[in-house]
Amino acid sequence: MTAVDDRPTLSPEIGRDRRRKEDQRLITGRTRWTDNLALPGMLHMAIVRSPYAHARITSIDLEAADKAINIYDVFDGKKLQDSMGVMINAWPITPDQKAPTHYPLAVDRVTFAGEAVAVVVARSAAEARDAAELVDIEYEVLPPVLDIKEALKDEVLAHPDLGTNKSALWQFDSAAAGTGGNVDEAIEKARSDGIVIERELIQQRLIPAFMEPRSVVVDPVGEQITMWTATQIPHIVKFALAATTGVPESKIRVIAPDVGGGFGGKLALTPEEWITFAVARHIGKPIKFTETRSESMATGHHGRAQVQHITLAAEKDGTVTGLKVHLDADLGSYVALLGGGTPVLGAFMFNAIYKFPAYQFNCQTVFTNRTWTDAYRGAGRPEATFAIERVMDDLAAELGVDPLEIREKNWIKNTEFPFTTVSGLQYDTGNYEVATEKAKAAFGYDELRAEQKERRDRGDRVQLGIGVSTFTEMCGLAPSRILGALSYGAGGWEHAEIRMLATGKVEVVIGVSPHGQGHETAFSQIVADRLGVPFEDVEVLHGDTQVSARGLDTYGSRSLVLGGEAVVRAADKVIEKAKVVAAHLMEANVDDVQFANGRYTVAGTDQGIGIAEVALATFTAHNFPEGFEPNIDSEATFDAVTFSFPHGTHLCATEVDTETGQVKLRKYVCVDDIGTVINPLIATGQMHGGLVQGISQALWEEAVHDEQGNLVSGSFVDYLLPTAADLINFDVGHAVNPSTTNSLGTKGVGEAGTIASTPAVVNSVVDAVRHRGVTDIVMPLTPERVWTALQGSGGGAATVEAAEPHFEGQEDNR
Amino acid sequence: MDLEHTFTVPVAVDAAWAEFQDIGSIAECFPGAQVTSVEDDSFSGSVKVKLGPISLVYNGSGTFTEKDDANHRFVVDAKGKDRRGNGTAGATVTLTMTGTGESTDVNVHTDLAITGKPAQFGRGVMQDVSDKLLGQFVGCLEQRFNQGGGGGAAAVEAPAPVEPTVESTSSHEVPSPPVAESTAAPADETPASVAPAPPPPAATPRPATPPTASGSGDALDLGKTVLPVLAKSYWKQAVVVLIVIIVVIWLIAR
Amino acid sequence: MIPAQFDYVAPSTLEEALAALGEHGDDAKIIAGGQSLLPVLRMRLNAPELVIDLGRIDSLRGVRDDGDALVIGAMTTHSDVVTDSLVREHALLLSKAAAEVADNQIRHRGTFGGSVAHADPAGDMGSAALAMDAEFVIAGAGGTRTVPATDFFVDLFETAIGEDEILTEIRVPKKTGWGAHYEKFVRVAHQWPIVAVAATVNGSGGTISEARVALTNMGSTPLRASATESALAGASATEDGVRAAADAAAEGTSPPSDLNGSAEYRWHLATVLTRRAVLKAADGA
Repeated sequence: MTAVDDRPTLSPEIGRDRRRKEDQRLITGRTRWTDNLALPGMLHMAIVRSPYAHARITSIDLEAADKAINIYDVFDGKKLQDSMGVMINAWPITPDQKAPTHYPLAVDRVTFAGEAVAVVVARSAAEARDAAELVDIEYEVLPPVLDIKEALKDEVLAHPDLGTNKSALWQFDSAAAGTGGNVDEAIEKARSDGIVIERELIQQRLIPAFMEPRSVVVDPVGEQITMWTATQIPHIVKFALAATTGVPESKIRVIAPDVGGGFGGKLALTPEEWITFAVARHIGKPIKFTETRSESMATGHHGRAQVQHITLAAEKDGTVTGLKVHLDADLGSYVALLGGGTPVLGAFMFNAIYKFPAYQFNCQTVFTNRTWTDAYRGAGRPEATFAIERVMDDLAAELGVDPLEIREKNWIKNTEFPFTTVSGLQYDTGNYEVATEKAKAAFGYDELRAEQKERRDRGDRVQLGIGVSTFTEMCGLAPSRILGALSYGAGGWEHAEIRMLATGKVEVVIGVSPHGQGHETAFSQIVADRLGVPFEDVEVLHGDTQVSARGLDTYGSRSLVLGGEAVVRAADKVIEKAKVVAAHLMEANVDDVQFANGRYTVAGTDQGIGIAEVALATFTAHNFPEGFEPNIDSEATFDAVTFSFPHGTHLCATEVDTETGQVKLRKYVCVDDIGTVINPLIATGQMHGGLVQGISQALWEEAVHDEQGNLVSGSFVDYLLPTAADLINFDVGHAVNPSTTNSLGTKGVGEAGTIASTPAVVNSVVDAVRHRGVTDIVMPLTPERVWTALQGSGGGAATVEAAEPHFEGQEDNR
Repeated sequence: MDLEHTFTVPVAVDAAWAEFQDIGSIAECFPGAQVTSVEDDSFSGSVKVKLGPISLVYNGSGTFTEKDDANHRFVVDAKGKDRRGNGTAGATVTLTMTGTGESTDVNVHTDLAITGKPAQFGRGVMQDVSDKLLGQFVGCLEQRFNQGGGGGAAAVEAPAPVEPTVESTSSHEVPSPPVAESTAAPADETPASVAPAPPPPAATPRPATPPTASGSGDALDLGKTVLPVLAKSYWKQAVVVLIVIIVVIWLIAR
Repeated sequence: MIPAQFDYVAPSTLEEALAALGEHGDDAKIIAGGQSLLPVLRMRLNAPELVIDLGRIDSLRGVRDDGDALVIGAMTTHSDVVTDSLVREHALLLSKAAAEVADNQIRHRGTFGGSVAHADPAGDMGSAALAMDAEFVIAGAGGTRTVPATDFFVDLFETAIGEDEILTEIRVPKKTGWGAHYEKFVRVAHQWPIVAVAATVNGSGGTISEARVALTNMGSTPLRASATESALAGASATEDGVRAAADAAAEGTSPPSDLNGSAEYRWHLATVLTRRAVLKAADGA
């Protein structure tokens, strides 16, 4: 800082717990959500949906609906067949993946209960809904296949024309890939002189349950067709609309205005978007469709839905020697945008933080007549983390050692980074020892273990359990070259642009698309620090493909790791460009000009000029360097070389009422290494929300279809989401080892809590009752399931085999 | 869901069987049913399901899909659509009579399929509703047997209010220790494990109470007659050219 | 979600409400808070022509002392039942049960009368009213009649209220000085009870002299656990003292099976929760 600088000193923004600048409008609702839009002449659409899980459409009578009051037009799939495009899968996991054609509006056949069959367009939403009742559709009911294991038998087919329910088998083998040994040999060896843990685990089907139901408005008036949609991925929607409908990409503008949550549920191309687009083009007027909560739950994509077969081999001392995974993953009735790619993302994470010398991963995707599945917070990685952390606990139990001890024996030591894993990824940084020590201390691990023993000895009605989850994940999805190798249909780079306004304000245009995360605050902090401008002077723009032309949107904990780096690089370009102007204005040699804290100075002089002054000088361009274009705005596109790898140690204590099976959270501590923390408040908020979602999978949530394929957990009466009343305070800590994959050292935090917490909770509950012979309980851990598991235990006798039966007769993944 | 009911009537099996040759009178027994036309072994009409907050009208039809005089067994297949497009209801009712001298045991097995919003109503309430309606239905059948008639064409006009009483194989109307009851697992799905049961088809019809307006049809929409719909299936072999084009575009775009 | 179109009236007197109901009969539905009716309308599982809102009839709201009974207006909100000093003094069980209804927002909209008239077997207030031997005052065109709780709850969603009648008040015999507890078993706090037990107990010196126990969601109506009640008379207020009585609580019940639990599990829960409810009630007696 030079003597002439009389500005108030700006304290560093990175690391500061700024309140989120977007919250005032988001929390008070003083903003425009998609459903708030009202355009001149706008019409409203209602969708008639199939009540059957599987049926042929034999007739559709639209006449009565068409004659209803204020009805503008009615459509069925045949009428729109040539113009509505199709729903695409961007990630065919194998070249021979089977995928049925997925029309936005069913043409001949419906494949799950809730599939769109006809639409009614009216002058008001109420009239559209009324007229939808008048659409008369006849179906020939076909047998549905609803269960993963049933589907694998290929007796009842979700899509008879395909001839099978099996879509694709994706494999990774460490011996074949040269990243490790032969897993079958490791297992064989362990069978004779080691330990083999074999488990079948169920990842139940979940519903993303974002707060704002999906809504779309399409305005075809004007040169471009504009779509407002409650999505995480406006750029991908734009591209896919062009790719599937034949409308030139340059004629499409997609806007994601403020969006109320997504959790992967809005990482989707939706039939509703495509239908609205087609209908608006057909009619030539703006059309709005907003789904009901019932529609959202039944037809928005679901998540998880896997049967996991895990075989872990270890030496007698507990050193792991091999891991073999076979997943049967329920695609639902179509291959969604990411489709089988979601479970495949887990391929790299089952080995987790452990040094498995041999590894094999197999993923069989299978069709059922249920809602299609796709990404849900964590997408593939929570499933992997759940399985490995569950079986590591079982290994510890087998050996009779503390679950943390078996983990430490097998995890990558902090001196071993960077470490290339058996699945071929190189973990850059991490320190599992430190995170674990900090977590144990905050948790009071030894004291709780002592209390647990005391309660067991006393035969207390309420037993205490301690669950451990030492997880890692891969974030920053994803390096384009890796995506290419995995046959994904797009890249994984990210883009940002910085505009230096004449008045000294800064506009930051980002390609990632926030829907509640706090991007505007975090990115403002980054830019404020980088450019040395006040936090308040930074405006973050996003979500409109006409403003943010390049971007690949928000999912997979990528916004900060990739988008943040793009912002940094764009800012650095601004600094470099402005330096030339500053040197010119100060009549100095550019090599002598330094930039710090928002100010250019000339070494060895007291000369200085602020970056805002340079911006104004650029605007007027009255006095500008020869041959230099009057523009210091900059943009940058960042494509990562590899993923980032957050990790953490999560400890959960639960109390299990053995008389009723009721589970109560007692204590939850996590210490995560998410790299550099930009805004501790936002990071903590992300952890809290993530933890709740992961805990909720363990204890409460499940999408259940009945034997006919009706979603019976189709409202929040039956699809249980917790509120603050059901949860406890979380103790969230950090153990920072900056990532080397980006200049800020960030690793990603959006999914960490969800990925880590589910096994911590289940391990905790099982730990509470393991002494009574229980080794597993299927999620969600309803009181009845816990109680039933205890009934099978025969009191205090340790009958390990007796605890397995919940897999026998397990009809499906419900 | 499968629901099972049994009752005994004090007449010989042939006499009992003779009572139930008319599909219209069987259909009339369903609570809230209004039969609008009967033709041979088929009927059409509507059913108004009114229970507490819920009020739905299903329009539809039914037919004898099986009638075995020798073994005293018939199967009626009925299906209907909610008038407001809320979903469908289908029932396959299998009635079997077994003579035991001067009396006849009647077994009514109902496979009920409800789709759409009612199935999503929550907490499996529709199952309770179904149990209750079926209980009333079977109670009405029993009463007709006991009255020795009452079916036939007359029923097409307005069936008399019925006082159904039902005994069911798994009814708990007689107080019994829960432990003993709990072994009487419902129907065909026995959740034998901790694993998750979808709402088990618990055939636990509650003691039926006199329906207030059963079958009176006062609120029914007489104008809406739905003709039996032939299950006409034509499966258009849509060879999708579009998808090919799109894949090409997609690949190029990559 | 948008309900089908309906007309709406909000009369300010009971007479007007009865007249509207008499005129429209089956085509009208009464709204007494809307916590159950509105979801049904929005899902279009019912489409009445007329909705009659009782919210502006002041005479249906409030609690008054009527000698040996309390009279609670049907339109008294759960929230008011929770906090009313008369209720807390003479009918503590109702206050305790109302405090467990759904969440705070719903307790401020939902009403005692609306809840019992809806007769959802999982409703919290039905079993509490049953345990308190409440009487239900029902008004019709021809005047009012009073129905005891045992006759009020007829079946699933069915009460003794006729189609042209309106529940106006609930008369609750005072149980001054009785301890009370409503033991509600849920997976998440705002959920309908999987099973709940309403218990109110009189006694002294660690001995129960009288007890009233009723069960929620153990059948198609709220149920009195009569065998338990008689077994509790004279029992000591300890785990062992009430265990046998509580074990009889589920006798004769036919609870539903759903996503939250099988009938078998509910039978088990009923006995455990009855024991806990009685002990906690006795603790305050």
